[in-house]
Amino acid sequence: MKRPKRSWAIWVALAIGIAFAAGADPLSVSASLGGGVTSVEADRAKMEASSQITGKDLYSIHEMHAPNNVVVREFVSPGGQVFGVAWQGPSRPDLSQVLGPYFAPFTEAAKKLHRTGRGPLIVQQPGLVVEMGGHARSFFGMAYVPQMVPAGVSTGEIR
Amino acid sequence: MKRAGPGSFGAVVSLLTFVALAASLISGCSSAPSSTSTSSSSGGGGTSGGGGTTPTSNVQSISVNTGPDTGQGFYDIDTAFASVTVCVPGTSNCQTINNVLVDTGSSGLRILSSALTAVSLPAQSGSINECAQFLDGEIWGPVQTADVTMAGEKASSIPVQLIGGSSAPAVPTSCSNLGPVMDSLTDLGANGLLGVGNFIQDCGPACTVPGSSNAGFYYTCPMSNCVVTEEPLLLQVSNPVYSFTTDNNGVILELPAVTGAETSITGSMIFGIGTQTNNGLGSTTVYTINPNTGNFTTTYGGTSYSDAFIDSGSNGLYFLNTATTGLPTCSDYTFWYCPTLTTSLSAVDHGANGATGTINFAIGNADSLVSNPQDGVAQGLGGPAPNSFDWGLPFFFGRNVYVAIEGQSTPGGTGPYWAF
Repeated sequence: MKRPKRSWAIWVALAIGIAFAAGADPLSVSASLGGGVTSVEADRAKMEASSQITGKDLYSIHEMHAPNNVVVREFVSPGGQVFGVAWQGPSRPDLSQVLGPYFAPFTEAAKKLHRTGRGPLIVQQPGLVVEMGGHARSFFGMAYVPQMVPAGVSTGEIR
Repeated sequence: MKRAGPGSFGAVVSLLTFVALAASLISGCSSAPSSTSTSSSSGGGGTSGGGGTTPTSNVQSISVNTGPDTGQGFYDIDTAFASVTVCVPGTSNCQTINNVLVDTGSSGLRILSSALTAVSLPAQSGSINECAQFLDGEIWGPVQTADVTMAGEKASSIPVQLIGGSSAPAVPTSCSNLGPVMDSLTDLGANGLLGVGNFIQDCGPACTVPGSSNAGFYYTCPMSNCVVTEEPLLLQVSNPVYSFTTDNNGVILELPAVTGAETSITGSMIFGIGTQTNNGLGSTTVYTINPNTGNFTTTYGGTSYSDAFIDSGSNGLYFLNTATTGLPTCSDYTFWYCPTLTTSLSAVDHGANGATGTINFAIGNADSLVSNPQDGVAQGLGGPAPNSFDWGLPFFFGRNVYVAIEGQSTPGGTGPYWAF
């Protein structure tokens, strides 16, 4: 049962770099996690979804319903940043769209997990957490950037 | 490490065991799990005496072990395997594939192209390829047609999926954008997947509708330019059990109880529910599920989680996260829990029909449970799952679990449901 060790330093540097890139020019980011609130509209348009906004004390939820019954919720901080996303449906949404610049680090980390046997895909990096699970007809998951989650918000609320 | 299953369920299982044993005239130790006795009859013909016509052999041996050698130093644990025979439809041109993962969380047979070496199955017309979604990624490859045989049961000319291979077009971006694509022995840890879940097709009505409403599993790839296509139900990759001529309303998985870590265990996959003397429901409890999602509700710590399911293809008890359970994840295996001491927990399963049952279970330290690469079985493996309960293979240890297929009639009512 061996498993390659990953270098934490590389991931921290990568996460910081991505966060900086996303924060520096949110309008250039066509996808959501880590992006500005404007990227939510890009996601909605791509999904051909209807949307609804729910205000909470510490954040707002932009919920999108696609015609294929996939639901995506994007959690936006008061500063207008998407700090978390969650999805649910009979299939997964386009995660390259929903995770944006974090999609590549996610798939890279997933390949390195080399889990022994099948189960939910859990990626826990200093700058990115992704949980993906479910089964045929019912897929769900969530992702967030720990550094972006507003103080006082439990990550358990990202669902 | 305690065995999973509270006293009350133990009593149910024992009673069922008694009934099954008595009915099939197999004598054995009354305190042992029934799977040991039942699996001993799996190789032969009919499993019961009964006069007159010989019943169809409906018992397929299954084994939980370290799985096929990936050559990469990775070993399976808590993964159940069966052998499946596929044939070119209507011929005796066949190959038996071993180490096929038994998965109650999906529907349909998928075979790794590198494992299907002796026969070449005909492609479904229309250059149909599939991006089949699983909890941890996608499987891409062409849809082909095969006769599928297990024990004495045969599904004739059903759609199956070949995983990867030279005949598969490149994975479309719209498929790989859904998460990691699994197309090798190392990715899968198995020579294929045998989906024997509650649903008939792998996608169902969601893949028969046009345009942006389509769930997007099936592609047509003329000249390797793949676009999502509508796929009629009858052409979708489907649960072979549903297409058996008899014993086609579901399966029972029977595995013995496990304490700690072991090299391997064997058990049985029995086809049909209440169709023969060896597959009665006995006094098990039926838990119906949401017919669209396949989920039921599990209550834990005073909170109800409506995305709960049973999945033999998941190799642990996966639920919630560290913040909710207080169980730390392992430093290397972030997908497993690593409490210092084995922790006893309790949850309540609620069927859509109102049936309830308390499930006592224990989570051990995964680092120590998987420390011996020779061990293919461990009781107590668990880890996080996003706001849900994924009752994986350890749930089946010491417990006979019935999977009823949607729309199929059984003595316990019409599927879909679970019973245990």
